[in-house]
Amino acid sequence: MGDPKGFLKVSRVEEDDRSVEERLHDWREVTEHAPEEAVRAQASRCMECGIPFCHQGCPLGNLIPEWNDLVYRGKHAEATRRLHATNNFPEVTGRVCPAPCEASCVLNIREEPVTIKTVERTIADLAFADGSALTPHPASRRSGRRVAVVGSGPAGLAAAQQLARAGHDVTLFERDDRIGGLLRYGIPDFKMEKGIIDRRMEQMRAEGVVFHAGVDVGEAIGGDRLRREFDAMVLAMGARAPRDLPIPGRELPGVHFAMEFLVQQNRRVAGDAVNAKTAILATGKRVVVIGGGDTGSDCVGTSLRQGAASVTQLELMPKPSLVRVPANPWPEWPLVLRTSSSQEEGCERDWAVSTRAFRGEGGRLVGIEAARVVFEGGKMQSVPGSDVSLPTELVLLAMGFVGPERRGLVEQLGTELDARGNVRTDPTGATSVPGVFAAGDTSRGQSLVVWAIADGRRVAAGVDAWLRQVPMARAANG
Amino acid sequence: MSETGVGTIAAGVAKAKADTIQIAGHDGGTGASPLSSIQHAGTPWELGLAETHQVLVLNGLRGRVRIQVDGQLKTGRDVAFGALLGADEFGFATAPLVASGCIMMRKCHLNTCPVGVATQDPVLRARFRGTPEHVINFLFFVAEELRGIMARLGFRSLEEMRGRVDCVKVRELSHPKARLLDFADVLTRAVNEEPAKDEPIDPSCCVPDAWQMSSTDEAVLEGARISLKHGEASQTHVQLTNADRAFGARLAGEVARKYGGEGLRDNTIVIEAAGTAGQSFGAFATRGTLIVLEGDANDYVGKGLSGGVLAVKPPARSRFKAHENVIVGNTCLYGATSGKAFFAGRAGERFAVRNSGAISVVEGVGDHGCEYMTGGTVVVLGPTGRNFAAGMSGGIAYVLDDERVLSGRVSKAMVDLEPLTPEDEETVRALVTEHVEHTRSARGAHVLSTWAKRHFVKVMPHEWRRVMQLRAGQESVKRASGHG
Repeated sequence: MGDPKGFLKVSRVEEDDRSVEERLHDWREVTEHAPEEAVRAQASRCMECGIPFCHQGCPLGNLIPEWNDLVYRGKHAEATRRLHATNNFPEVTGRVCPAPCEASCVLNIREEPVTIKTVERTIADLAFADGSALTPHPASRRSGRRVAVVGSGPAGLAAAQQLARAGHDVTLFERDDRIGGLLRYGIPDFKMEKGIIDRRMEQMRAEGVVFHAGVDVGEAIGGDRLRREFDAMVLAMGARAPRDLPIPGRELPGVHFAMEFLVQQNRRVAGDAVNAKTAILATGKRVVVIGGGDTGSDCVGTSLRQGAASVTQLELMPKPSLVRVPANPWPEWPLVLRTSSSQEEGCERDWAVSTRAFRGEGGRLVGIEAARVVFEGGKMQSVPGSDVSLPTELVLLAMGFVGPERRGLVEQLGTELDARGNVRTDPTGATSVPGVFAAGDTSRGQSLVVWAIADGRRVAAGVDAWLRQVPMARAANG
Repeated sequence: MSETGVGTIAAGVAKAKADTIQIAGHDGGTGASPLSSIQHAGTPWELGLAETHQVLVLNGLRGRVRIQVDGQLKTGRDVAFGALLGADEFGFATAPLVASGCIMMRKCHLNTCPVGVATQDPVLRARFRGTPEHVINFLFFVAEELRGIMARLGFRSLEEMRGRVDCVKVRELSHPKARLLDFADVLTRAVNEEPAKDEPIDPSCCVPDAWQMSSTDEAVLEGARISLKHGEASQTHVQLTNADRAFGARLAGEVARKYGGEGLRDNTIVIEAAGTAGQSFGAFATRGTLIVLEGDANDYVGKGLSGGVLAVKPPARSRFKAHENVIVGNTCLYGATSGKAFFAGRAGERFAVRNSGAISVVEGVGDHGCEYMTGGTVVVLGPTGRNFAAGMSGGIAYVLDDERVLSGRVSKAMVDLEPLTPEDEETVRALVTEHVEHTRSARGAHVLSTWAKRHFVKVMPHEWRRVMQLRAGQESVKRASGHG
């Protein structure tokens, strides 16, 4: 709050995106990063509220008013420290977080919130540029305890970094060939370029984290063996089981889960060759994306960049209102219509549409049959006579995820699941199996990167506390 | 403020004919209060309330007053406990504020309230979205919850609940420290040995004495009758004691009733008083009134002065050096808006605080002189206390500073210290001359006779200078356009 009246003098200015014509021809980040001076002016709008509601919005408890003020004063080194005090990867959340902090910003009551996310990303990028964000912080004393972290998405990475900094010997296992989980292979490069993950890995290596990519725990190494060889383990393998749409024609070639499609493209951008037989490409096709969320948007942007003839995105729920409804007051997350950068790039959107069948001809997908629905008393009902059919050659299912994959590690360990099929944990992240913890989507169900990082940090604290209680037996035997 | 001994204070003010006694708990305070006030002032309201109620009952005073309690009351349950511990009335602040839009920014002191609650700034006030219904709704919930509790306890009215500590049960506490708490004193039911005196509360019982006109009031109104009736000059002599509080205020009210804010011609009503005046001597005196007191006066002389002229001087036969002695108490000219006041002697603390237009000459002041002053002129012919001119945004003070010590005693955040201009010299000289005429001040006369050797300092608020410049600019524009 360097300037107590800053919010009255400066209005919110969001970062510009590159023009649609330009950005559709490459895979680089869409956002054009604002100059430091502009960000400083935006930071001056923060009022340093007595009760900072942004803290309620941010799962990490980021010290938002503090670093806003530091940025306004040009104290970048201190801002970097305050930002990293609560957030391991602000360069990630500064890019892909939907910013619940901004939704709960006090300025969002009547006008427009502080550009918290832009400020965060600017601090992180400046600190990446001068290297200060990447200074390793190895523990001054090693505990001699070994912790296995399974899964290298944001939850696993955060847990691993926190545990390493607490002095434990952390080994991070990743099924894919590269570290990063959904950060690497789920999020398209046009939202976040992947070099930042590699630079964080360098820092974590220097802090003592050992990375094992390409190891499918549960297949290559059994859960029991990991339990024997490590003092504790953290399950952070996400909630990768996708929600399916079991309707006629589901088996047709051309109907794919979003994640199959997105991972392939991320590999191509990373320079990998993708097998031509299994390749899923939108090029020249009329694409239908089923599901109106973030993953759906990623499919839209990726399809457009591949040169799709058209992209239509269908959402089951009704179209949200443009402004908050009274039953959804500040500081709640506003349930309003949002348009992602990908949707801006040229796609048809339709709401309250339920897909009934995939239509094939000669074993090829040629279209979908759908009907309009209304929700009455919480129950979905078809609107008679509202049937529509859409021609399409590629359908991407982006309807969310139903929980962690249970076959393999979860079954081997025998951890209890909650009613929704996620791994059940106590508040410290401990599962029903002693020494086994879970974090991120694995225990929470699919959610935001920022929740994953927060969970990773919380579970690391839980593991650390647990290791302090149990005797050193295993380590001594090992 | 709820704290140990508040019951004794309450008994005192009840005897002094207070209507209502307010017990404030330690939780209250605006969000803009300093932390020391928020965290280290007072005790929970329950303690102060219980003590107050018990002391008043035991001394047969409970029937004379209403007890009001506040300090983060939020629920019907809070009200129920307040009533059972002895309260009649209940103050809510935070919760209704929040109901109407306050988000506890704790910026009330910065005039930047983003929801338009704690601000007069029209831009910010435009953001206020509260309605009376929001508060009404909140209070209905409080009342509804209270009704439920009353029904369970079998009470029909809050009056029945008052002081019924026998209905309060102490919860089983498991924490080892909490088990050391002894609630016996708080939950003692006070009973008066002479129940006849513990009459039911009747607000009318408090009215007569306090509102009755004193004999001096009557004498003054009688003496000024022709002035009030016909606007003709009158002169009255009265003898005052310190029981004569707010002397002149009733007269001021009558003048205002008849002649409005304009008042009368100067010196229409002249009152010559002698003795020691009680608090608020000459309060709200209106234009056309001149009140001269030979003697001294208690606190709040000329509070809200509204155009009248006051002069306080020591008796002619006194031998002491008037300018070394205090002649009027604390907080004189508080919130004065116009008029003049001359004091042949020193004043206490907080002289001319929030003065917005009155002119005064005094021969020394205590701490915090001219604090928050926004207009008017103050001439100090002697020493000031510390923190002079703190938060002063308007008006001018001229201080005689022969010892060159003023600089260390001024709060300089909002004012500059500078030498007098020739115009200033003229102003001050004229005022000191007037001072001597009204009070035959030896100090004033001496200053005038040694004028060249005297060192005055002008205390000039930054904001006032800006206002003066703006006004001067507007004047010249007006003049220019007038000629064109």
